Order: sequence, then C-alpha cells, then structure tokens
Amino acid sequence: MITALGMAEFKALVRNRTAAVLAFAMPLAMGVYFAAVAGDADAWTFIVALQLLCTMGFTAHMTTTTSLTARRQDHYLKRLRTGLASDAVVLTGVVLPAALLSLAQAVLLVGVSVVAGAPLPGRPDLLLAAIAGGVLASVLAGIATSGLTATAELAQITTTPFFAALLGGGLWVVNSTDARALALPGGAVAELVAAAWGGGGGRLALAGLSLLGWAVAGAALSVRLFRWDARS
Amino acid sequence: MRNPVIDVAALRCRYGDFEAVRGVDLQVHQGELFALLGTNGAGKTTLVETLEGLRAPSAGRVRVLGVDPFRDRAAIRARTGVVLQESGFPPDLTVAEVVRLWRRGDHRAELARLDLAHRRDVRVKQLSGGERRRLDLLLAVLGRPELLFLDEPTTGLDPESRQRTWDVVRGLLAEGTTIVLTTHYLEEAESLAHRLAILHEGEVAVSGAVVDVLAAQPARISFDLPAGLDVLALPMLAGDVVHEPSGRVEVRTRQLQDDLDVLLGWARREGLALARLRAHHASLEDVFHATRQVRVA
Repeated sequence: MITALGMAEFKALVRNRTAAVLAFAMPLAMGVYFAAVAGDADAWTFIVALQLLCTMGFTAHMTTTTSLTARRQDHYLKRLRTGLASDAVVLTGVVLPAALLSLAQAVLLVGVSVVAGAPLPGRPDLLLAAIAGGVLASVLAGIATSGLTATAELAQITTTPFFAALLGGGLWVVNSTDARALALPGGAVAELVAAAWGGGGGRLALAGLSLLGWAVAGAALSVRLFRWDARS
Repeated sequence: MRNPVIDVAALRCRYGDFEAVRGVDLQVHQGELFALLGTNGAGKTTLVETLEGLRAPSAGRVRVLGVDPFRDRAAIRARTGVVLQESGFPPDLTVAEVVRLWRRGDHRAELARLDLAHRRDVRVKQLSGGERRRLDLLLAVLGRPELLFLDEPTTGLDPESRQRTWDVVRGLLAEGTTIVLTTHYLEEAESLAHRLAILHEGEVAVSGAVVDVLAAQPARISFDLPAGLDVLALPMLAGDVVHEPSGRVEVRTRQLQDDLDVLLGWARREGLALARLRAHHASLEDVFHATRQVRVA
C-alpha cells in the first residue's frame, strides 16, 4: 500500500509543473552550477555541502510541506483515512517520493562533483550519515510545517525558517569555528560532509547529536501539529 | 434481536468551547437505511465523522460493528465504506489511477454502473462535480462494505446523477448493506430511509421509523380564503385553522378526510371556489419545519 500511495503521489508530483520544477530541476540546476564554478580543490567540501543542503531544502523539506498541505486542501488525506491504510502508512506513502527523490538527487549531485574534479571522500560513511540524517530531519520538519500551513501557496513562506537553518548553518560552519553553528541542521550536515573528506573541526558527535535532535524534534512537532482535515 | 450495527449512547463532541453534538442516543440496525437530517450546523457531519472513527467523542459511548470506531479504526475499515461530505483526490491523477490506488483488480463493471467507464483516463481535475461525487461513491462501495456512510452524497448533482446514485443505494440495500445517510434533500430521505433522526443544535429532535414520524404530524389542507370572506365564516373543523397574512388558510388536522368533506360540502352549499386548494398528509418537510419551529419557540 505504501508503494501504491507513493507511486500515485510521484505521478501527481511529475504532472504538476510547479511542484515538479521545485522538486526536480531547482536542486539539480543549483547543484550542477555549484560544481561548475568550483575553483580550487579545497572548496569541494563546501560545494558538496551546498549541493546537499539545496536538495534537502527544496526537495525534502519544501516538497513534503507543499504536497501534504495540497493533499489536505484537496480533502485527499482525509479520504485516504477512510480507506484500508493506517495513518502511518498514508503519511509515509505521501511523503515517500519527496524523501526518495532527495536521496537520489544527493547521490547524483555528489557524482556530478566527482566527475567535475572532486576527490572521492575518505569516509563515505560520514557522507551517507550526513545525507540520511539531513533528509530525514528535513522531511520530518516538512510534516510538522505543513500543520502550520493553511494553503499550498503559503508553503513558500512557512518553509523559509527551516530552509534558512539549512543554508545558514552550512555557510556558518564553513566560515567560522563557532560550535553554535552545529546546532543548526545545515551546520551539522556541513560538518559531517567536511569530515567525510578529512576536514572539519572534528566535532562529529556534536553534529550527529544535532541532526538526531532535529529529527526527534521534527517527529514530536509533527505529532502535535499535523492535521488531516482542512476544516478542523 | 441482533446487536445493532451502530449503537450510540449519550454522545457528545466538542470543538474547543463549542459543543457540536450534545448527548445523542441512536441505534442503527442491520440492513436498514438510517437518515440523519438537520440544518447546516446541526451536528450531522460531526456525528457521522465520529461514527466513521475519524474523530474521538468528548463523552459518551459509540460502538460500530461491535467496536470503538476511533480506537479500533483498523478493525472496521475493511467492513465499512465512506463518502465524505467534502472529498477529493490528487487533481492530476486519472480516474483509473485513483480506482486502482483504492483497490487492485478489474473494476470496469463498477465504473460502468456509475457511468464513469468512458472517463477512466480523464484526470480528476477535468471531471464535473457530479462525476467526482460518483467516483467517490464508487470507491466507497468497491470493497462491498457491510456498512456504508454517505454524507450528503447527492448534493450538487443533476437529477439524472441523483437518480443513478439512488439506484446504486437501492441495489446495496437489496444486498443487505446497512447505510447511514445524511442529506439536505428531504424527499431523498423520505423515499430511501427506513428510519431517521432529525438533529437540531446537536440534539436529536425527532427520531423513529419514517412512517411513524410522518404519522405523528397532522395532515394539511390549504386554500386561498375567498375575497370578502371572514375566516370565522368557515365551518367547524376538527383541525386547527391558521389564517396567514397572505390570505392563505391552512388547516392542520388529524382527520384529513372528514375535515375535507366538511369543507368541500360547505363551499358547494355557499357557492364558493377555494382557489389553489391542496390537501396532503404530512411530508418530511412539514416535520422538519415543525421541529425547527418548536425549538425556536
């Protein structure tokens, strides 16, 4: 049932031009652009972190928020609840395309960077942890954010804070040694990415805990804020 | 007697400070169509959504197919079908894709039954309002449910679509399906329902078998009072005579045949024509309005 719901949602995503551009083209275009303008060899971890944060922001976070809000407005979420699938299955099915797409884009963009001249990461496990943790935290934050978003159009505004926490955190970590930057999800992702290539400030545990904290907070807020019905 | 399919006692549902359902008791038995009527805001949809397991009651007891529908939603889902008052599907999916998502298999017969076979490859956003409503009904009955909830299934439908929906509902009743119907169309309830409840401001104002509910209300005789005639000149009738400012006279009587006989005999003797004369037993509309008037008074 999760697969059927996910496929249906994927088709709906592909057929809606605005949503499709946001989810597919935007992060890929920006990621490829970053790889193309990379100047010296030291900058690669920064480029990869930016690429990953873009796909987490656009595809995992914004698409999750927009899809769930639009489906609630369509009264589709409520209709699904009258069917055979449990709440968890419905929710997972609807957010699955955005999550998988973001993971696929992350892998693709790292590949683009490698093709453009980036060295292979010395600790791929840390890169995978950054991707998995960042996408999970972004999707969960998207579920919670949709609870605060009345219409799909408003998602462009309500997703801004988390988006800023992603990109802002990433830029902060790259440009400073201030440990507070790791409290932001983007900071934690950028730290893990830097460490995957042998760089960073060696604050792996802090970065891991931060991403875990964002994921737990996202899940807890989702339980509290998420709404199935546009009316209530 | 077997256990009721739906058993509700002292049910209350609250949204913040507002109590939408205020102590409702009702039972729905196997194989019957139970109609829930009421004005907008009477609490129908809140009540039905509680029965469907979509919201928890704030107080009282609810049993649907023997279980608590909110806590054990998974247990009743396979046995129930639901048409929500407002419902939708991703606008960019086709009819066939939505049907397949709901239940695998070949559903051509069902699509044809609801006149949607020729629309199977059309996207949901291109369907008319009536077609969308029929798709909704189709999904609700795909699994051949024992219990079907229909929340205003014919609102906004043209007469032909409404007739088609009624045919499907009658077919399901003939197969033994239990149906809970909410509707604004009183003639729909009168023609389909076995029993009904009229909700008013969150409470059951009237309930019972349709024939009993109708029999409890007086019949009506109405006509235009001939010009120049005082209402006191009318013959003695068993029913109550109401003279409306428009000049219309309405007699509410439990002895329709006798009063009509007296009235027509009097008019013939006096040589009077009673313009726009109507005589009829109480309709559900009369019951509905009487309920509201009593409550408002």
